[in-house]
Amino acid sequence: MVPDFLTVAEAAKLIEKKELSPVELVESRLKRIEKLDDQLHSFIRVLPEAALAAARAAESEIAAGHYKGPMHGIPIGLKDIYETKGVPTTGHSKVMQDHVPAADAFSVTKLRDAGAVVMGKLATHEFAFGGPSFDLPWPPARNPWDTTCFTGGSSSGTGASVPAGLVLCGTGSDTGGSIRGPAAYCGLAGIKPSYGLISRAGILPLAFSLDHAGPMAWTAEDCAIMLQAMAGHDPADPASANHPIPDYRKALSGDVKGLRIGLIRHFYTTDNEANAATRDAIDAAAKKFEEMGASVREITLSPLAEWAACGVLIMMSEAYAIHESNLRTRFTDYGEIFRDRMALAGLWTGADYVQALRRRRELVDELDGAMAGLDLVMTAASPTEAPKIDEVPKFAIIDRPSLTMPFNVTGSPAMSVCCGFTETGLPLSFQIVGKRFADATVLRAADAYERATPWRSRRPSL
Amino acid sequence: MTRSELDAALARLGLDVPEAERDGIAANAHYVEKMAQLVKKPRWVGAEPAHTVAFPEK
Repeated sequence: MVPDFLTVAEAAKLIEKKELSPVELVESRLKRIEKLDDQLHSFIRVLPEAALAAARAAESEIAAGHYKGPMHGIPIGLKDIYETKGVPTTGHSKVMQDHVPAADAFSVTKLRDAGAVVMGKLATHEFAFGGPSFDLPWPPARNPWDTTCFTGGSSSGTGASVPAGLVLCGTGSDTGGSIRGPAAYCGLAGIKPSYGLISRAGILPLAFSLDHAGPMAWTAEDCAIMLQAMAGHDPADPASANHPIPDYRKALSGDVKGLRIGLIRHFYTTDNEANAATRDAIDAAAKKFEEMGASVREITLSPLAEWAACGVLIMMSEAYAIHESNLRTRFTDYGEIFRDRMALAGLWTGADYVQALRRRRELVDELDGAMAGLDLVMTAASPTEAPKIDEVPKFAIIDRPSLTMPFNVTGSPAMSVCCGFTETGLPLSFQIVGKRFADATVLRAADAYERATPWRSRRPSL
Repeated sequence: MTRSELDAALARLGLDVPEAERDGIAANAHYVEKMAQLVKKPRWVGAEPAHTVAFPEK
């Protein structure tokens, strides 16, 4: 009997020792998907035959002594903007519902090479931006802690499916917070790695200069395992960094002694005021880091609205350019949220876009300067727990400044970490951020915090 | 932005936005204007933008 909930690390240990069959693991996830996904709508497309074939292949390889590492035989889901050879990749949109790629995305190839078993394609906001939408070919994903609540977006299917144990981990993408938002609302771990660390080749773009691909999983350790498989230079992505890839899992010492953390309180106490539960949970997390031997001091940056304006203007302008032709010829084939946000994006001028790029450079320098004497900064990932899914405003991305966008602007590694639950059982989180290409330090701090707190022992009851 | 200004802008963009959605877009256009103001700062003429991509390696 395969447990309902396993982390990647736990399953990998059992698979390596041949105490868990990848075939049985995949069969158990397929049963769970069949049982629960009518409530969650986390999958756009389940691929049972392909998954079972990959699991059988993994089992044969392992039996023959060819164990590839901790992703071997692990069931994963792919956000439906990651291209998959021969399998539709739709961006959750009518506009591309018949798009069948000829090849896998570079990062999907890397995951398959590491032995991962692709269970199917996961829900997203339309083209990683417009949602939650009820007028698309597939319904929006639902929060597994309360299915009347929003998952966050845009990696909504990954956010829903991992905590529910439908898959052990999955892919996300993050242009303004699309990994960290669902991770915060759904209580899982999600890291937006340094810009350029994971290739975006073969991933449907939202905004080229802000798009990051990344892992979402139950724990920081699982994110480290997945990041190891996905990271690497790819000449096909012009932003791909040719940077040494450290052993991320080896960096998880459980120790944060000596780490210097800057707390950006004004982002969530005045600039985008968080509710009391969120503020208290972040204060407690900062205190926990101090108890564990890190130092925490408050720092002040430019107002959050300036960071958000810079990022949103760049993101929406680049997205508009990508979709301009289809917006002109088939406007109403897009969902209402996506198309109306894009209509607003069309109002900016070329000069506005260039001014935002100039502001971006200044903001990058500002954060680099503020972090000169620090290893990490922390702040909120979201001002509240998940709202009701039918109460999310159409223009939510622009009416309150995003707490996650600053670190897309700077390309910094940034992670959402669960730090408690509300009285009604919804997850709370904080965001921890490192210097560019110090992803291992972010994972180390997040892992140490998870080990020192009880939050990873709680799963949604569905 | 007034509704007639929005209609003119959408016509210039070539976007066939349904009538029922136009008032909502016009009502939120002030966010677009505010963001454009926020990224404008007094800066030296030679202050270059962020360059975030590299040329392909060939």
